[in-house]
Amino acid sequence: MAKRSLSSTTITPTAVADTVAMTNNLWLGTLFGASATQRTIISEIYIGGQSTASAVAIPLFARDSTVPGTLVAGTMFDAPVDPATAALAAPLLTGNSATTPPQRSATGHLLNLSFNAFGGIVRWLAPQGAEIGIVGTAVSLGSVSLSQFTGGAGIMGGHIIYETS
Amino acid sequence: MKSKRSHEGYILFDHSNSPGLPDDVARKAGLPVGAGRGLFEAPTITCSHCQTVLVINPLRNREREYCRKCDHYICDGCGAAIKAGGECKTMAQVFDEVCEDAIRDQQLTRSGLLFKKE
Repeated sequence: MAKRSLSSTTITPTAVADTVAMTNNLWLGTLFGASATQRTIISEIYIGGQSTASAVAIPLFARDSTVPGTLVAGTMFDAPVDPATAALAAPLLTGNSATTPPQRSATGHLLNLSFNAFGGIVRWLAPQGAEIGIVGTAVSLGSVSLSQFTGGAGIMGGHIIYETS
Repeated sequence: MKSKRSHEGYILFDHSNSPGLPDDVARKAGLPVGAGRGLFEAPTITCSHCQTVLVINPLRNREREYCRKCDHYICDGCGAAIKAGGECKTMAQVFDEVCEDAIRDQQLTRSGLLFKKE
Protein backbone atom coordinates (compact mmCIF):
# COMPACT_ATOMS: atom_id res chain seq x y z
CA MET A 1 0.00 0.00 0.00
CA ALA A 2 2.75 2.42 -0.86
CA LYS A 3 3.96 4.02 -4.01
CA ARG A 4 7.04 2.63 -5.69
CA SER A 5 9.08 3.76 -8.67
CA LEU A 6 10.33 1.43 -11.39
CA SER A 7 13.02 3.38 -13.19
CA SER A 8 15.72 3.08 -15.80
CA THR A 9 18.75 5.29 -16.27
CA THR A 10 19.66 4.71 -19.92
CA ILE A 11 18.14 2.22 -22.30
CA THR A 12 18.08 1.94 -26.08
CA PRO A 13 14.87 -0.03 -26.38
CA THR A 14 14.60 -2.52 -29.20
CA ALA A 15 11.55 -1.90 -31.35
CA VAL A 16 9.23 -4.91 -31.33
CA ALA A 17 5.90 -5.57 -32.98
CA ASP A 18 2.84 -6.73 -31.07
CA THR A 19 2.84 -10.38 -29.97
CA VAL A 20 6.61 -10.64 -30.43
CA ALA A 21 8.90 -11.42 -27.51
CA MET A 22 10.72 -8.40 -26.14
CA THR A 23 14.52 -8.39 -25.98
CA ASN A 24 15.96 -8.84 -22.50
CA ASN A 25 17.27 -5.62 -20.91
CA LEU A 26 16.04 -3.64 -23.89
CA TRP A 27 12.51 -2.62 -22.98
CA LEU A 28 11.34 -0.02 -20.51
CA GLY A 29 9.87 -2.28 -17.85
CA THR A 30 7.14 -4.75 -16.99
CA LEU A 31 4.87 -4.91 -13.96
CA PHE A 32 3.59 -8.42 -13.26
CA GLY A 33 1.31 -9.53 -10.43
CA ALA A 34 2.71 -11.77 -7.72
CA SER A 35 -0.53 -13.48 -6.68
CA ALA A 36 -3.94 -14.28 -8.12
CA THR A 37 -5.66 -11.51 -6.18
CA GLN A 38 -2.98 -8.82 -6.18
CA ARG A 39 -4.00 -5.46 -7.60
CA THR A 40 -1.71 -2.65 -8.71
CA ILE A 41 -2.42 0.79 -10.10
CA ILE A 42 -0.10 2.83 -12.30
CA SER A 43 -0.32 6.55 -11.63
CA GLU A 44 2.56 8.13 -13.53
CA ILE A 45 4.89 7.45 -16.45
CA TYR A 46 7.80 9.70 -17.37
CA ILE A 47 10.33 9.30 -20.18
CA GLY A 48 13.19 11.64 -21.00
CA GLY A 49 15.06 11.44 -24.27
CA GLN A 50 18.85 11.05 -24.25
CA SER A 51 19.65 10.67 -27.93
CA THR A 52 22.28 12.90 -29.50
CA ALA A 53 20.50 13.11 -32.86
CA SER A 54 16.86 13.25 -33.86
CA ALA A 55 15.15 9.93 -33.08
CA VAL A 56 11.39 9.42 -33.11
CA ALA A 57 10.56 7.01 -30.30
CA ILE A 58 7.25 5.15 -30.00
CA PRO A 59 7.04 3.87 -26.43
CA LEU A 60 3.76 2.05 -25.86
CA PHE A 61 2.33 1.18 -22.48
CA ALA A 62 0.26 -1.92 -23.09
CA ARG A 63 -1.10 -5.11 -21.61
CA ASP A 64 0.80 -8.28 -22.36
CA SER A 65 -0.69 -11.18 -24.29
CA THR A 66 2.13 -13.39 -22.98
CA VAL A 67 3.05 -12.80 -19.36
CA PRO A 68 6.75 -12.94 -18.43
CA GLY A 69 8.32 -16.08 -17.01
CA THR A 70 10.65 -15.47 -14.04
CA LEU A 71 10.80 -11.72 -14.41
CA VAL A 72 13.89 -10.09 -12.86
CA ALA A 73 15.15 -6.51 -12.58
CA GLY A 74 17.56 -6.57 -15.52
CA THR A 75 18.61 -2.96 -16.04
CA MET A 76 15.67 -1.49 -14.09
CA PHE A 77 15.58 -0.19 -10.52
CA ASP A 78 12.60 -0.61 -8.23
CA ALA A 79 12.44 1.44 -5.06
CA PRO A 80 9.81 2.81 -2.69
CA VAL A 81 8.99 6.47 -3.09
CA ASP A 82 8.81 6.84 0.69
CA PRO A 83 11.85 5.44 2.58
CA ALA A 84 9.61 4.32 5.45
CA THR A 85 7.74 1.88 3.20
CA ALA A 86 7.32 -1.64 4.60
CA ALA A 87 8.04 -4.53 2.24
CA LEU A 88 5.07 -6.54 0.98
CA ALA A 89 4.91 -10.26 1.70
CA ALA A 90 4.48 -10.87 -2.03
CA PRO A 91 5.95 -7.87 -3.85
CA LEU A 92 4.95 -7.14 -7.41
CA LEU A 93 7.40 -8.54 -9.96
CA THR A 94 9.10 -5.81 -11.97
CA GLY A 95 11.99 -5.49 -14.40
CA ASN A 96 13.01 -5.90 -18.02
CA SER A 97 14.55 -9.35 -18.17
CA ALA A 98 12.80 -12.73 -18.09
CA THR A 99 13.34 -16.34 -19.03
CA THR A 100 10.24 -15.92 -21.18
CA PRO A 101 10.02 -12.25 -22.15
CA PRO A 102 6.55 -10.76 -22.30
CA GLN A 103 4.75 -10.04 -25.55
CA ARG A 104 2.68 -6.92 -26.09
CA SER A 105 -0.98 -7.54 -26.70
CA ALA A 106 -2.21 -6.31 -30.08
CA THR A 107 -5.53 -5.34 -28.51
CA GLY A 108 -4.27 -4.00 -25.21
CA HIS A 109 -2.53 -0.76 -26.14
CA LEU A 110 -3.23 1.63 -23.28
CA LEU A 111 -1.05 4.68 -23.80
CA ASN A 112 1.05 5.90 -26.71
CA LEU A 113 3.92 8.12 -25.60
CA SER A 114 5.51 8.94 -28.95
CA PHE A 115 8.17 11.64 -28.63
CA ASN A 116 11.49 12.70 -30.06
CA ALA A 117 14.27 11.21 -27.93
CA PHE A 118 16.60 14.04 -28.97
CA GLY A 119 15.76 16.46 -26.16
CA GLY A 120 12.10 15.47 -25.82
CA ILE A 121 10.26 14.74 -22.59
CA VAL A 122 6.93 13.01 -22.07
CA ARG A 123 5.06 12.65 -18.81
CA TRP A 124 1.60 11.23 -18.06
CA LEU A 125 -0.23 11.58 -14.78
CA ALA A 126 -3.33 9.53 -14.04
CA PRO A 127 -6.34 11.10 -12.40
CA GLN A 128 -7.01 9.83 -8.91
CA GLY A 129 -9.46 6.94 -9.11
CA ALA A 130 -8.96 6.33 -12.83
CA GLU A 131 -5.48 4.88 -12.91
CA ILE A 132 -4.45 2.04 -15.19
CA GLY A 133 -4.60 -1.21 -13.23
CA ILE A 134 -3.47 -4.81 -13.30
CA VAL A 135 -4.88 -7.72 -11.33
CA GLY A 136 -3.75 -11.28 -10.72
CA THR A 137 -1.16 -13.16 -12.72
CA ALA A 138 -3.05 -14.30 -15.79
CA VAL A 139 -3.22 -13.05 -19.36
CA SER A 140 -4.06 -10.33 -20.11
CA LEU A 141 -4.88 -8.38 -16.98
CA GLY A 142 -1.91 -9.54 -14.90
CA SER A 143 0.92 -7.85 -16.73
CA VAL A 144 1.68 -4.51 -18.42
CA SER A 145 4.83 -3.38 -20.19
CA LEU A 146 6.35 -0.18 -21.52
CA SER A 147 8.12 -1.01 -24.75
CA GLN A 148 9.22 0.46 -28.05
CA PHE A 149 6.85 -0.14 -30.96
CA THR A 150 7.98 -1.00 -34.48
CA GLY A 151 9.63 1.97 -36.18
CA GLY A 152 10.69 3.69 -32.98
CA ALA A 153 14.27 4.48 -32.04
CA GLY A 154 16.31 6.44 -29.53
CA ILE A 155 18.00 6.39 -26.16
CA MET A 156 15.90 7.17 -23.11
CA GLY A 157 15.41 6.83 -19.39
CA GLY A 158 12.35 7.19 -17.24
CA HIS A 159 10.14 5.84 -14.51
CA ILE A 160 6.78 4.28 -13.78
CA ILE A 161 5.11 5.11 -10.45
CA TYR A 162 2.84 2.33 -9.18
CA GLU A 163 1.09 1.24 -6.05
CA THR A 164 0.23 -2.33 -5.09
CA SER A 165 -2.65 -3.20 -2.77
CA MET B 1 -20.09 16.45 -6.11
CA LYS B 2 -17.68 15.24 -8.77
CA SER B 3 -17.39 16.96 -12.11
CA LYS B 4 -16.42 15.24 -15.34
CA ARG B 5 -13.15 17.15 -15.24
CA SER B 6 -12.22 15.45 -11.95
CA HIS B 7 -11.69 12.28 -14.01
CA GLU B 8 -9.08 13.94 -16.18
CA GLY B 9 -5.40 13.08 -16.13
CA TYR B 10 -2.58 15.13 -17.57
CA ILE B 11 -0.06 14.61 -20.31
CA LEU B 12 2.98 16.67 -21.23
CA PHE B 13 5.05 16.51 -24.39
CA ASP B 14 7.96 18.89 -24.14
CA HIS B 15 9.83 19.36 -27.39
CA SER B 16 10.97 22.89 -26.56
CA ASN B 17 14.57 21.86 -27.11
CA SER B 18 13.98 19.10 -29.61
CA PRO B 19 13.15 18.73 -33.30
CA GLY B 20 9.85 17.23 -32.14
CA LEU B 21 7.49 14.82 -33.83
CA PRO B 22 6.37 14.96 -37.46
CA ASP B 23 2.63 15.54 -37.72
CA ASP B 24 1.96 12.12 -39.24
CA VAL B 25 3.55 10.39 -36.21
CA ALA B 26 1.65 12.66 -33.83
CA ARG B 27 -1.63 11.80 -35.57
CA LYS B 28 -0.88 8.07 -35.36
CA ALA B 29 -0.27 8.51 -31.63
CA GLY B 30 -3.70 10.07 -31.23
CA LEU B 31 -2.39 13.60 -30.80
CA PRO B 32 -3.66 16.72 -32.53
CA VAL B 33 -1.63 18.13 -35.40
CA GLY B 34 1.09 20.36 -34.02
CA ALA B 35 1.24 18.55 -30.68
CA GLY B 36 4.68 17.23 -31.55
CA ARG B 37 6.21 20.70 -31.67
CA GLY B 38 7.20 22.87 -28.72
CA LEU B 39 5.39 22.39 -25.43
CA PHE B 40 2.10 20.51 -25.53
CA GLU B 41 0.04 19.94 -22.41
CA ALA B 42 -3.41 18.38 -22.45
CA PRO B 43 -5.91 16.64 -20.22
CA THR B 44 -6.39 12.91 -20.70
CA ILE B 45 -9.26 10.58 -19.98
CA THR B 46 -8.97 6.93 -19.09
CA CYS B 47 -11.75 4.87 -20.66
CA SER B 48 -13.56 3.27 -17.73
CA HIS B 49 -14.40 0.20 -19.82
CA CYS B 50 -10.98 -0.70 -21.28
CA GLN B 51 -8.58 1.72 -19.53
CA THR B 52 -7.16 3.09 -22.77
CA VAL B 53 -5.78 6.57 -22.15
CA LEU B 54 -6.99 9.22 -24.60
CA VAL B 55 -5.51 12.64 -25.07
CA ILE B 56 -8.35 15.14 -25.26
CA ASN B 57 -8.17 16.95 -28.56
CA PRO B 58 -9.33 20.51 -27.95
CA LEU B 59 -10.21 20.84 -31.64
CA ARG B 60 -12.53 17.82 -31.73
CA ASN B 61 -15.99 18.61 -33.10
CA ARG B 62 -17.52 15.16 -32.79
CA GLU B 63 -19.39 14.14 -29.68
CA ARG B 64 -17.14 12.57 -27.04
CA GLU B 65 -18.34 9.12 -26.01
CA TYR B 66 -19.80 9.00 -22.53
CA CYS B 67 -21.37 6.16 -20.56
CA ARG B 68 -24.34 7.25 -18.44
CA LYS B 69 -24.29 4.02 -16.45
CA CYS B 70 -20.79 4.39 -15.05
CA ASP B 71 -20.73 8.18 -15.40
CA HIS B 72 -17.40 8.22 -17.21
CA TYR B 73 -16.06 9.18 -20.57
CA ILE B 74 -15.19 6.16 -22.68
CA CYS B 75 -13.14 5.62 -25.82
CA ASP B 76 -14.67 5.63 -29.29
CA GLY B 77 -14.33 1.84 -29.58
CA CYS B 78 -16.20 1.18 -26.34
CA GLY B 79 -18.72 3.86 -27.30
CA ALA B 80 -19.41 2.05 -30.56
CA ALA B 81 -19.82 -1.22 -28.66
CA ILE B 82 -22.39 0.38 -26.35
CA LYS B 83 -24.30 1.79 -29.31
CA ALA B 84 -24.28 -1.66 -30.91
CA GLY B 85 -26.09 -3.05 -27.87
CA GLY B 86 -23.17 -3.81 -25.60
CA GLU B 87 -23.46 -3.48 -21.85
CA CYS B 88 -21.55 -1.19 -19.54
CA LYS B 89 -18.88 -3.16 -17.73
CA THR B 90 -16.11 -1.17 -16.14
CA MET B 91 -12.58 -2.45 -15.74
CA ALA B 92 -13.06 -2.09 -11.97
CA GLN B 93 -15.91 -4.61 -12.17
CA VAL B 94 -13.73 -6.97 -14.23
CA PHE B 95 -10.95 -6.69 -11.64
CA ASP B 96 -13.43 -7.46 -8.82
CA GLU B 97 -14.62 -10.54 -10.70
CA VAL B 98 -11.03 -11.76 -11.22
CA CYS B 99 -10.32 -11.39 -7.50
CA GLU B 100 -13.59 -13.07 -6.47
CA ASP B 101 -12.93 -16.01 -8.82
CA ALA B 102 -9.40 -16.41 -7.43
CA ILE B 103 -10.64 -16.33 -3.83
CA ARG B 104 -13.40 -18.86 -4.61
CA ASP B 105 -10.85 -21.17 -6.25
CA GLN B 106 -8.60 -20.90 -3.20
CA GLN B 107 -11.50 -21.72 -0.88
CA LEU B 108 -12.57 -24.71 -2.96
CA THR B 109 -8.99 -25.99 -3.13
CA ARG B 110 -8.63 -25.65 0.65
CA SER B 111 -11.90 -27.47 1.25
CA GLY B 112 -10.85 -30.31 -1.04
CA LEU B 113 -13.65 -29.74 -3.54
CA LEU B 114 -11.21 -28.61 -6.21
CA PHE B 115 -7.86 -30.18 -6.89
CA LYS B 116 -5.01 -27.74 -7.15
CA LYS B 117 -3.60 -27.42 -10.65
CA GLU B 118 -0.14 -28.90 -10.99
